[in-house]
Amino acid sequence: MSGAEEADAVSKAEEVDAVSEPEAAELAVTGLTVRFAGLTALDDVAFTVRPGTVHAIIGPNGAGKSTCFNVLSGVYRATAGSVRLGDRELTGLKPHRIAALGVARTFQNLALSSLQSVEDTLMLGRHRLTRAGFASAGLRLPTARREDARHRDRVREIARFVGVSEYLAAPAGTLPYGVQKRVELARALAMEPRLLLLDEPVAGMNAGERRRMAEVIMAARADLGLSILLVEHDMGLVMRLADRVTVLDFGRRIACGAPADVQRDPAVVRAYLGGAHHRDEPGRDEPEGETA
Amino acid sequence: MSDRPPRPAVLASDRLPRPAVLAAVAVAAVLLAFPFYLDSFWLQTGLFAMSAAIGAIGLNLLTGATGQLSLGHAFFLAVGAYGYVYLASDGESRPGHELAGLGLPTPVAFLGAVLLAGAAGGLFSPIAGRLRGTYLGIASLALIFIGQHVLFNAEPLTGGFNGRDVPPLALPGVTFADSPELVVFNVPLGALERLWFLGLALLALAAWLARGILRGRPGRALNTIRDHEVAAAVLGVPVARYRAGVFVLSSMYAGAAGALLALVFRRTVPEYFGMFLSLDYLAMIVIGGLGTAAGAVAGAVFVTLLPQLLTRYSDGLPLVAAPGSGGVSPAEAARVLYGAAVVAVVLFLPGGLLGMWARLRAVRARRRAAPPHPGLDQKEQPA
Amino acid sequence: MSTFAELLVNGISMGSVYALIALGFVIIFRATEVVNFAHASLLLVGGYITAVLHDDVGFLLALAAGIAGAALVGAAVELLVLRRARVENHAVLAIVTIGVDIVLTTELTRQIGTEVLSLGDPWQSKVVNIGSVSIAQTRIAALLTAAALITVFLLAFRHTSWGLAMRTAAEDAETAALMGVRLTRVSLGAWAVAGALAAVAALFLTVFPTPGLDRATSFAAMKAFPAAILGGLDSTTGALAGGLIIGLTESLVTGYQGDLAFLGRGVGEVAPYLVMLAVLLVRPAGLFGTRELTRV
Repeated sequence: MSGAEEADAVSKAEEVDAVSEPEAAELAVTGLTVRFAGLTALDDVAFTVRPGTVHAIIGPNGAGKSTCFNVLSGVYRATAGSVRLGDRELTGLKPHRIAALGVARTFQNLALSSLQSVEDTLMLGRHRLTRAGFASAGLRLPTARREDARHRDRVREIARFVGVSEYLAAPAGTLPYGVQKRVELARALAMEPRLLLLDEPVAGMNAGERRRMAEVIMAARADLGLSILLVEHDMGLVMRLADRVTVLDFGRRIACGAPADVQRDPAVVRAYLGGAHHRDEPGRDEPEGETA
Repeated sequence: MSDRPPRPAVLASDRLPRPAVLAAVAVAAVLLAFPFYLDSFWLQTGLFAMSAAIGAIGLNLLTGATGQLSLGHAFFLAVGAYGYVYLASDGESRPGHELAGLGLPTPVAFLGAVLLAGAAGGLFSPIAGRLRGTYLGIASLALIFIGQHVLFNAEPLTGGFNGRDVPPLALPGVTFADSPELVVFNVPLGALERLWFLGLALLALAAWLARGILRGRPGRALNTIRDHEVAAAVLGVPVARYRAGVFVLSSMYAGAAGALLALVFRRTVPEYFGMFLSLDYLAMIVIGGLGTAAGAVAGAVFVTLLPQLLTRYSDGLPLVAAPGSGGVSPAEAARVLYGAAVVAVVLFLPGGLLGMWARLRAVRARRRAAPPHPGLDQKEQPA
Repeated sequence: MSTFAELLVNGISMGSVYALIALGFVIIFRATEVVNFAHASLLLVGGYITAVLHDDVGFLLALAAGIAGAALVGAAVELLVLRRARVENHAVLAIVTIGVDIVLTTELTRQIGTEVLSLGDPWQSKVVNIGSVSIAQTRIAALLTAAALITVFLLAFRHTSWGLAMRTAAEDAETAALMGVRLTRVSLGAWAVAGALAAVAALFLTVFPTPGLDRATSFAAMKAFPAAILGGLDSTTGALAGGLIIGLTESLVTGYQGDLAFLGRGVGEVAPYLVMLAVLLVRPAGLFGTRELTRV
């Protein structure tokens, strides 16, 4: 009990410096290497996400994109290399410490509690910004009640922003897939992050759902001023959203640059069209220019 | 029970409709009237159920809400029961019969017993925080065996095989014993009658606290640890600390349940706090409904009443024989029944008794006015 | 010194019996991710059948019947209960097996009553003397049988298609299913094999110097739980190592109980659990357990 509250106090302290420095910070990844039991998932990968930009990571399946996300969010340990957000080193930190620094993420496969209401799901996003512990929540202390009310208001705003307000009372698990994906995004935004990691935000969606998701992401970047790191197979979306693109193949960075340059890079074309492994063709999903 | 009537947490608002308030008041009135009408057998059974309900709420916070299995719940009940006795008793020192005790005022001892159980849970927290789910279930088996060993061997503290007498609780103005006499509305209220009110108050408090925790910030974190540990961590929940924290909390609930149980039994005996007690508690929360206070209460009442009912009415029941006559004894029949109930609930009645109740209410509500499900079935609007 | 040697041999022998039980426990976990708390009652089923039948059909046939019976009950639990339980929370599945355990154990201990049943083994209380060291034949038989069964099991696990299916299913159930592994058969097989191993273990848990099969047998069988988890729940090697550690701990602590009097009577019963806690404090995933990589 006291342990959890102590933890809350710590995250509160870190929240203060996150708040005093609300502008997005630069994410600098250098020499990142991850090995599991002899298998090298990431090999000396480097890229930089400049504040307020959208940076995409693309590559065939198994290229190490998800591993990269898992290291950035503290789920996996890096074997070597460095990940810095502003002046803080992230490698070696536990996931909740990284979250406390203002890094939010979504998951490739949905990671929602299916019985929890959407509102509660988004309230969980406020976890790092709130502090009610076992005692104050159990006793319904005025501080806990006020905090709850204040953050519920903000959560409703975020729900409106992402377009899920009408589902606030519904259990997350009962919603259509596309809505669940947006609820996950809303939960990540509820953390008021400086850096948002989106793992295939439009995978498995139909064209309408994709368009809405893209609009929300663009609005989030414009209105909330955060940096976004995006893993996505949908090349149309990547080309439209990203300021810069990093291409991974077999755990190595094979290209990095503006979307149009990367698309013409011979190494990238080879990785997608050649090779023996399963791949996703660039631009398979949505013809570019369908939305404007 | 003064807790509000059970309802699915996700749909609940904190404001109750009028009929529900009335129902809650009526239930509370009936519960408060029981001591004036019931005989001591039923009062004692009811008190066992209340104690079990408090303990089950604690286990439901841990296992139901957080997904952390514990077979060590009986250990913490023992810490609560023996902790109270040790803190409240005056030491005895006759040749060959040494019993330690601090002789604290009994309310302080009761509180101390709860804290002691919490501290015992804290000692186990390096394991409770790091082991997930079923792994913790196996590890917590150790608590049962260590607990039994200590209860039988630490004689100055526990009285060993024979156990210890439990000093009655004395609050200012009322002692929870048969004397001095207390008559209300021409009904003499003995120890059990008086404890009944104490038990109700404790249970109401326990349920109210758990409900606040489950619906508040900690509850959301615990549920997410159960459903998706990685998501919880990435959202900023310190998973290990919450696991350890909820383990301590559930130990404190068990401690309160154990201390109340000791007051009702008036004697603590070591073999009661064995493996089977832990299994009983797991059966309660599964049968009643995982993850809520109301589910824990429903399951506790079911599992506690079943053997008592079978004992009381064994003559009239086929297949159940009187104890010792070679047939299926009521206690054995109850055990088989609720073991089977655990399996049946998981297979056929997800959500337990509470879930069944919620579905019945939903069906009734739908019959009354078939309202459209707002938003749920709506198709995605093109932008 | 001879006491030490005797305790050592007895410990290894008991350890190999615990390893048999733990092995079954681990293969159920690997195949289905279910922690089977009904394992002790499967053991009781096997022991009880053997005890009831041996007077009429002879020891070996009775033992075979016990093994078959426990395997059948194990398979039935998988088929009738676990396969039908659609829950995501593994703690709930574990509680279901507890429900099964309550039913089976209550009924069997009721049948056994206050009696102590013999399983009619051929070794009885005969003792082999090697120098000044005397060892019960039952302990030697236990050691040899367990070693043989474990060897056969591990060979099958590594080299037969059943073993391959089992290992694939444990690694990645989805891929295994795509590759044509019949997951339902794998888990059914795991439960049956686990039941059979438990029935053999039942024999050696109840022979000399233990008086026989009684109500307390299921508590003895529970020592396989610490064995399995301290080795690592998902590791067959771990089950073997865990079994031996638990067997040796129990044997040595019980043997030197006189010198450990300050710890109280019967400390040998508790020692395995203390060892388990000590190991888990240092290595939460057990000695040989893999810290599972979370898939997200």
